[in-house]
Amino acid sequence: MSGAAFRSIGRHEPRREDARLLTGRGRYIDDIAVPGALHACFVRSPHAHARIVSIDTAAARALPGVVAVYTGRDIAPHTTRHRMAPPIEGLQPVESDTLPVGKVRFQGDPVACVIATDRYLAEDAAERVEVEYEVLPAVATIAQALAADAPRVDDALPSNLLSHQHATHGEVDAAMRGAFRVIESSFSMQRQTHLPIETRGCIASWDAGREHLLFQVGTQVPHPYRTTLAGRLRLSESQVTIVSPDVGGGFGQKIALYREELTVAVAAMLLERPVRWREDRMENLLASSQAREDDCRTRVAVDAQGRILALELEILEDFGAYSFYPGNYLARVVAMIVTGPYRIANYRYDVKVVLSNKVGNGPMRAPMAITSWLMDGTLDEVARELGLDPVAVRRLNMLQPRDYPHTMATGEVLADITPRETFEGVLAAIGYEAFRARQAQARRRGEVLGLGLCTVVESTTYGSKFYKAAGIPGSGHEAAWVRIEPSGAVNASVGLGATGQGYETALAQAVAEGLGVPSSCVKIHLGHTDIAPYGMGSRGARGGTAGGGTLYLCAQQARRTVLAIAAHRLQAPLDAVRLQDGRVQRHEEGAWQDAGLALADLARLAYLDPLALPPGMSPGLEFHQSYEPPPMTYSNSSHACIVRLDVATGAVHIERYVAAEDCGTVLSPVVVEGQQHGAIAMGLSGSLMEHVVYDPATGQNLSGSLADYLVATAHEIPRIELIPMHTPSRATPAGIKGMAEGGVMGSIGALMNAVNDALAPFGVRADRQPLSPTYLRSLLRGKQATENKQ
Amino acid sequence: MSEQRITLTVNGENIEFEAPARKLLSDALREDCGLTGTHVGCEHGVCGACTVLVDGRPQRSCLCFAVQMEGHEIETIESVGTPQRLSVLQQALHECHGLQCGFCTPGIVMTFEPFLQEHPEPSEAQVREALSGNLCRCTGYQSIVDAILLAARRLREGAAS
Amino acid sequence: MKPAAFDYHRPASVDEALGLLARLGVDAKLLAGGQSLVPMMNMRLASPAHLVDLNDLSELAQLRVSGDRLEVGALARHRTLAESPLVAEHCPLLAQAARTIGHGAIRERGTLGGSLAHADPAAQHTLAAVTLGARLTLAHQGGRRVVDAEDFLRSAMTTALEADEIVLSVSYPRLAAGEVSAYRMFNQRHGDYAIVAVAATLLLRQGRVESLRLGVGGVAPVPQRLDAATQPFLGRAASVDWVAEVARAARDAVTPEDQPRVPALLRKELTETLVARALARCLERSGVSA
Repeated sequence: MSGAAFRSIGRHEPRREDARLLTGRGRYIDDIAVPGALHACFVRSPHAHARIVSIDTAAARALPGVVAVYTGRDIAPHTTRHRMAPPIEGLQPVESDTLPVGKVRFQGDPVACVIATDRYLAEDAAERVEVEYEVLPAVATIAQALAADAPRVDDALPSNLLSHQHATHGEVDAAMRGAFRVIESSFSMQRQTHLPIETRGCIASWDAGREHLLFQVGTQVPHPYRTTLAGRLRLSESQVTIVSPDVGGGFGQKIALYREELTVAVAAMLLERPVRWREDRMENLLASSQAREDDCRTRVAVDAQGRILALELEILEDFGAYSFYPGNYLARVVAMIVTGPYRIANYRYDVKVVLSNKVGNGPMRAPMAITSWLMDGTLDEVARELGLDPVAVRRLNMLQPRDYPHTMATGEVLADITPRETFEGVLAAIGYEAFRARQAQARRRGEVLGLGLCTVVESTTYGSKFYKAAGIPGSGHEAAWVRIEPSGAVNASVGLGATGQGYETALAQAVAEGLGVPSSCVKIHLGHTDIAPYGMGSRGARGGTAGGGTLYLCAQQARRTVLAIAAHRLQAPLDAVRLQDGRVQRHEEGAWQDAGLALADLARLAYLDPLALPPGMSPGLEFHQSYEPPPMTYSNSSHACIVRLDVATGAVHIERYVAAEDCGTVLSPVVVEGQQHGAIAMGLSGSLMEHVVYDPATGQNLSGSLADYLVATAHEIPRIELIPMHTPSRATPAGIKGMAEGGVMGSIGALMNAVNDALAPFGVRADRQPLSPTYLRSLLRGKQATENKQ
Repeated sequence: MSEQRITLTVNGENIEFEAPARKLLSDALREDCGLTGTHVGCEHGVCGACTVLVDGRPQRSCLCFAVQMEGHEIETIESVGTPQRLSVLQQALHECHGLQCGFCTPGIVMTFEPFLQEHPEPSEAQVREALSGNLCRCTGYQSIVDAILLAARRLREGAAS
Repeated sequence: MKPAAFDYHRPASVDEALGLLARLGVDAKLLAGGQSLVPMMNMRLASPAHLVDLNDLSELAQLRVSGDRLEVGALARHRTLAESPLVAEHCPLLAQAARTIGHGAIRERGTLGGSLAHADPAAQHTLAAVTLGARLTLAHQGGRRVVDAEDFLRSAMTTALEADEIVLSVSYPRLAAGEVSAYRMFNQRHGDYAIVAVAATLLLRQGRVESLRLGVGGVAPVPQRLDAATQPFLGRAASVDWVAEVARAARDAVTPEDQPRVPALLRKELTETLVARALARCLERSGVSA
């Protein structure tokens, strides 16, 4: 299926979402008025690690407007405990209470919930809840977590080691022994947080008569969320409806069922009044899931030309205190895909994930973000060590187009990707040779420039086979329905959760393409679990492939039925009719001609005159489809970044940023471009300045406001040049590959590699983030640039 | 410390309600005036999502109390264009894909409607500088910058003709 | 993040405001621009029982030349100072600093008096005031007093302002003929408080340095004026080498403390770099090519 054949897919269609969002008529969770709703506010631990000795709520309950105050003990009988125990070797099963009963495990851990008539009063009351704590020593670093006499974050576990996974593929030791050189490099990524501009929030309404819970919440995964919520409340899934309205960003933070939301649901059921909660920004920085804190080390065995003979990867991850997600998952994906576009048969990895007294981790846009920096950064180190050109080293090790499909050392199969092409594409676009000349001239003037490259192979859509092979419970499928109304209007739905991706527009294009109607006829319904079919939701970059793919297939199913009706009506052979732009065309006298039938005519037949349908066909035009994507779908991109370092101050200025990308068939080019900009911006922002800092002595979270947790503004993010080099997948509907996270991976690698290219003449290397002036000056202090390096 | 009667002039209309002095303008607009287009992102003046116009000037509505605003003219996003008739800036944002989740968007529109009046021919650097007071996590800012520059050009052309 | 409850007062005149303060004392906090106070109240780091809103006191927003000084009302907004032709003409350093404060919406609202009373060590206005030798006129119900900026600023977030006092106005020396100024700050992200900032004024007479004021913010609890360190450099010919020497002397003169995210050494280095850049700019503005 070539792009030239598409009528709807691939067109630039301005978004339908915009009309309401631009004019302030969106409907985010906090905008929804619920008369009589009470407001929740959480009392949170000021300590990183402490026993809860007692909680006195009397003074709080006495305040005007306060209806109830619940502690962990009050909530416990009404929910099951949280259990995270997937059958994965090396992963410790963990359990925890809804709200902590015995002890708190991070600063910000919620210990009580105040319910009052408004949020202001609830906060007054929260200040009056008296909690007596017995402070315990905190685990605030990976080293502390692994120390022999470390305090235990989870008393039920023998140590703070939550997960340990390792594997060896090929002949690693032999390759190391026979190497020309073994080069070791370290890479540390700091703790970050997703920071959607809209914080979390929910509204719980319990209908005591029907025994039904309506739970409105901004979520990326409406159905899995419902299943989990019902299970925790010991309700049947039939008793819970999730409605996700407009959501102000998710990035992975709005997937798990958190304790706060669960507590709000319990409160609504106990009080038989609607209860709502809006997380404030301080809470979001303290108690919403965080991500990325990894210390990594690579060792590569190379020959004299820089060919990689073997790779060893060690990852240590700080997972925080609670498992909102399986502890092995994120690091395991990194280990599985790190070799990416490079030919590496001998590969060993060792991944340890530890608990600490920090907020529990969750997947943050590109959970495997460190992957590409690890791999391309290692190649840069090989080049520096051997005095080779980094481009030559990449070309030597990168798989050629003829090598695909290629089975990676870990068994992952790469197919239909084009890293070599995007690499050469970005090199040409950035003007590699010309830059090296300019860099040398600049150096003579005392100006420090650097260029970084990073090629990304992005795992976008995980199929059930992948989960099974990796021992991770879960399904990769998606489900959709398409209904053609009697008037010819088309409604469609899929199990995704929208948080800004333009689904209403892009997915309408997928349906329109599959069916043969203008996209303006199609309306997409998302986020309501009574309406949408059971799907796995929006995570990773699966929206395009899994969501768009399922809808496309379902629409094709609808088209086949519609055309059968048309053929019957026209007494024409099936292959002589087609539907285009909502009208039936018939192939007559060597050309397609309008047959005088619109989709509406056929729909009217199906609903109101079923006896005129082809024999054996049921009335109505409603179709349902589920789709299991391939075990893994990949897209790829190559990134190049030029930086200028202000050596005196340690400031990094990004002069130019280019990315060449292959995301397969693109549903909506403008949406894809926006996703790429956003992903790259997030990676750059994280590398430059984001950092959730926990005090290593006390475990206190020092990043409780946006004055402390810095996110890049329009002033720091450069103009991003994108070069589309899309080629379709042969394994997915319409050739969609999906994308959304590769930009994060590529920008981290490209920026770090650019800075290190700039630092090379000084004989220093940045092996951690963020690239703060303090850090860069600490590297540069007392160092002089020497002429001969690179 | 109890509730008092407050009258705000919002989008040309006088709205009267009862609220305590401590009620933030952002909350009063959203709850007491029923205008939920102004969004709350941080409540400490950094993200800019809550930006409204007070006497024609952009202001963070999370950093003042509703009661302070008596006697002033407040304009919120609801006064700028409608789905059927977007302002020049809103139309440009639409065409340039200058929004994704839309949460930061009203704050950006309210910041730039007056900006465009004062800077008919802004440079990209000026636009980025002015935009740096509004955080966006979705777009990477570029499409917003392009939209603002496009709107400026269109306003100049409109003024010329 | 909702603030605690308070009684709200909105005086219509300075006298009324002073009367309120006399009565309420330490239980009252003054509300000017609110760009620093309200975030603290929202985070419940500050929960005053009474708030006295000064924003109706338009007499406190005046700007005027008074003899050899420029008098600026305490309620003057940062934006006003950044754009005022009067300020540009008579005290451009004030404008150069004010235009870098935060972002547009913050500059619309934030005030000179509020910023000085807040006394953040890294703020623009405190640095400008100390560097220029500003004088603050304070009023209480019983009368007024004039305090030099360096006496007004006692320590980080601490001033000489009594509980019953308001800053009425701040006076700055007018720029001498031929005098130029520059303000340079360094932060990691646009619009944030400075890590280190430098304010400088320079007067050359036939290429020789007749007067030099140099102030550094962010290296001590209050902005530092480096008169002692710069004294030896007066009377000399202004040049690139001269700039470098003054910058080094400034670096040696400041004694910042180590802080977890910013070591003292970095602040010293930034002092040298920013002094060099500020003075280079001053030289440019004086018509001396660097």
